Amino acid sequence: MHIAEGFLPAAHAIGWTVAAAPFVAHGARAVVREVRENPESTLLLGAAGAFTFVLSAIKLPSVTGSSSHPTGTGPGAILFRPPVMALLGTVVLLFQALLLAHGGLTTLGANAFAFAVVGPWAGYAAYRLVRAAGAGLLPAVFAGVALADLATYGTTSLQLALAFPDASTGLAGALVKFLGVFALTQVPLAIGEGLLGVLLFRVLTVNARPELERLGILRPEPAATPGGAA
Amino acid sequence: MSLAVDDAAWASAWRGRAPGDKVLLCGGLVGCALLLPAWPGSVLVVLAVVGLALGPARVPARTFARAIRWPLAFIAVGAITSVVAVSTDGIGWAPDAVERGGSLVGHALAGSAAVLLLATTTPVSDLLPALRRARVPAAVVEVASLVYRLLFVLLDSLRTIREAQAARMGHSSLRRSYRSSGVLAAAVLTRSWDRARRLQEGLACRGFDGGLRVLPEVLPSSRIFQAASVAGLGALVATSVLVR
Repeated sequence: MHIAEGFLPAAHAIGWTVAAAPFVAHGARAVVREVRENPESTLLLGAAGAFTFVLSAIKLPSVTGSSSHPTGTGPGAILFRPPVMALLGTVVLLFQALLLAHGGLTTLGANAFAFAVVGPWAGYAAYRLVRAAGAGLLPAVFAGVALADLATYGTTSLQLALAFPDASTGLAGALVKFLGVFALTQVPLAIGEGLLGVLLFRVLTVNARPELERLGILRPEPAATPGGAA
Repeated sequence: MSLAVDDAAWASAWRGRAPGDKVLLCGGLVGCALLLPAWPGSVLVVLAVVGLALGPARVPARTFARAIRWPLAFIAVGAITSVVAVSTDGIGWAPDAVERGGSLVGHALAGSAAVLLLATTTPVSDLLPALRRARVPAAVVEVASLVYRLLFVLLDSLRTIREAQAARMGHSSLRRSYRSSGVLAAAVLTRSWDRARRLQEGLACRGFDGGLRVLPEVLPSSRIFQAASVAGLGALVATSVLVR
């Protein structure tokens, strides 16, 4: 659900760009620092960005028989942290505008604020909270990925409500309208993307455990006691 | 696996034109779409974009029409929602629904078409050096360049794995379909890590010090194209103001 080019009035487009800029700049600084300290990170970060783009191209089956596409920022926020996702998400949104005609250039700031800032931070906060509460990795991943999706959709609805308040009920009425209309697709999508996140991390814990340990998502397994299994 | 808009950009008759020239024209059109009144400004922008895309830029009409469908779906839902009035009496149309809805659709359709003209005539790899000139840090531009180059490799993996899953009844039920999608996402992620590691090892053998320096293709600017763009945009603004 990307806001199309030209849909927001110029003042709103500029305002959301200014709001997103500090987060994207913070992400850029984090990337520059990471690349300066570990030059090989350039390639891993490029791979992470490409994965986020490709994840949004996976067709998610829907109970209604149709299919929809995940936002892709929730798993990215858990794997690579929100500051990095603020930058990578913005790069992905730019490429989606230029390669798929999803979103736009003047609305890039508004879309980046929803997809690359609020979504990843809300999702990561939910993931950390659920893990801190003692839950396992997979429930935390479901909460994080689903909430990242819901927070993104809520923010986009708020952006549209601020730009187009209802004639009689103002901002509140407009927010209810946009939340209601987009809930039809976004709530099932959030649940579906949460399930996809769980399946993704379940496979990763088996097939890519060293990478998850390196990223700090799993604790290193204690070394086997010599001779213990004999 | 390729993307239709990217294919159109590489095959466009304007591929050899300087990216700055096309940014001037398309940026001007986006500005007109955003700032001029929907009637006649947005209509003139759409006519100009379609004329330029299908005429001198030789973008395939089918590619252009298929690409514009995505923003159209959002524009239709968003515009209808914004002109529906909610009150204690129930739901109805806002008093200025036609004017407001028409204006929204006009601005958004014209803006989306103008961005699509840039996208279907200019490969992303031509636009990324401009970010460096806009003082975006080199490390960020290099990461963006890598995203662009790797995403096609990963899209290829995605398509191949999805075809293999479909051939093995991986999408025959909702439950299987979700499981297949999860395995697909995990396979693409581990392949992206593997690809990055192999690239890093290959570059390390060639003395990689952190900078991915490539020789950029220099495409000369055309004064005639720039002058025609400015004149055309000026005529569009003047016509819009006079007709209104």
